[in-house]
Amino acid sequence: MVMVNGEQETGVVGETILDFLKKREAPIENIVVEQNGKIIHRADFDTTKISENDKLELISFVGGG
Amino acid sequence: MQEPEIQGSSYNDVYQGMKERNVKDSTDKLAAAHVTIAGAGGLGSNIAIALTRIGVGHLTLIDFDSVELSNLNRQQFKLSQVGMPKVVALKQNLQEFNPFIEIKTHQVKITHDNVKELFEDADIICEAFDNPAAKAMLLDAASEFYPDKPIVMGTGMAGVHSSNTITTKHPRKNLYIAGDGVTMGAEGLMAPRVMIAAGHEANMITRLILGNTEI
Repeated sequence: MVMVNGEQETGVVGETILDFLKKREAPIENIVVEQNGKIIHRADFDTTKISENDKLELISFVGGG
Repeated sequence: MQEPEIQGSSYNDVYQGMKERNVKDSTDKLAAAHVTIAGAGGLGSNIAIALTRIGVGHLTLIDFDSVELSNLNRQQFKLSQVGMPKVVALKQNLQEFNPFIEIKTHQVKITHDNVKELFEDADIICEAFDNPAAKAMLLDAASEFYPDKPIVMGTGMAGVHSSNTITTKHPRKNLYIAGDGVTMGAEGLMAPRVMIAAGHEANMITRLILGNTEI
């Protein structure tokens, strides 16, 4: 089971972080990804895969300041 | 030798007088702290003023942009400063509020490649960008180069929605994010609500300087 922002997500095991983010609505460049407590650097999005029992936190930013 | 004076009072009297209403035992810790503020717009200018007033001793201001008319509905610049680099105008204003602060400025665009150098001397990193991709880039780079430095950020302060939806969150060690998390700049950004988010960031930074890591 993979948890994304505290909710169960199915069918994502084996995907790269990049492929996983591409399916979501928010622009990829506005998101920071934490996998099992560790921030995955942007340069590693296309080589880091999602594994069974992963906990992902997506920290999204909106514009304005 | 005569003691230097500021507007007819001794340097020391002015310094002490300006700190009189600060919270007990805060002044020396604040004076020793170094905060580097990424962005000198609606968030950054308001955060910088708050930190300057309470006497945070060392500030670094970073912004590539110049003051525009459209900034004046929320950013702490004057009509007379339109066209000036934001970091130059802001430093000028801060020095009028409190002359006892060491202020460094960099008129440069922050990218992944210069984060290591620009934030080296910061005790606390303050993110105050407008652009969401820049916010994400800075968190990514800061977690790479300076995982042990606290970073205080802002996201979501647009429109005229309730003040009370703006909060400070602490999603992971050393990361603090103020804002409502959802309202986007395209809706319009105005001083009152931007200042609430800036106040959240400035107060969290103050708490961190004084040793409190809880939100």
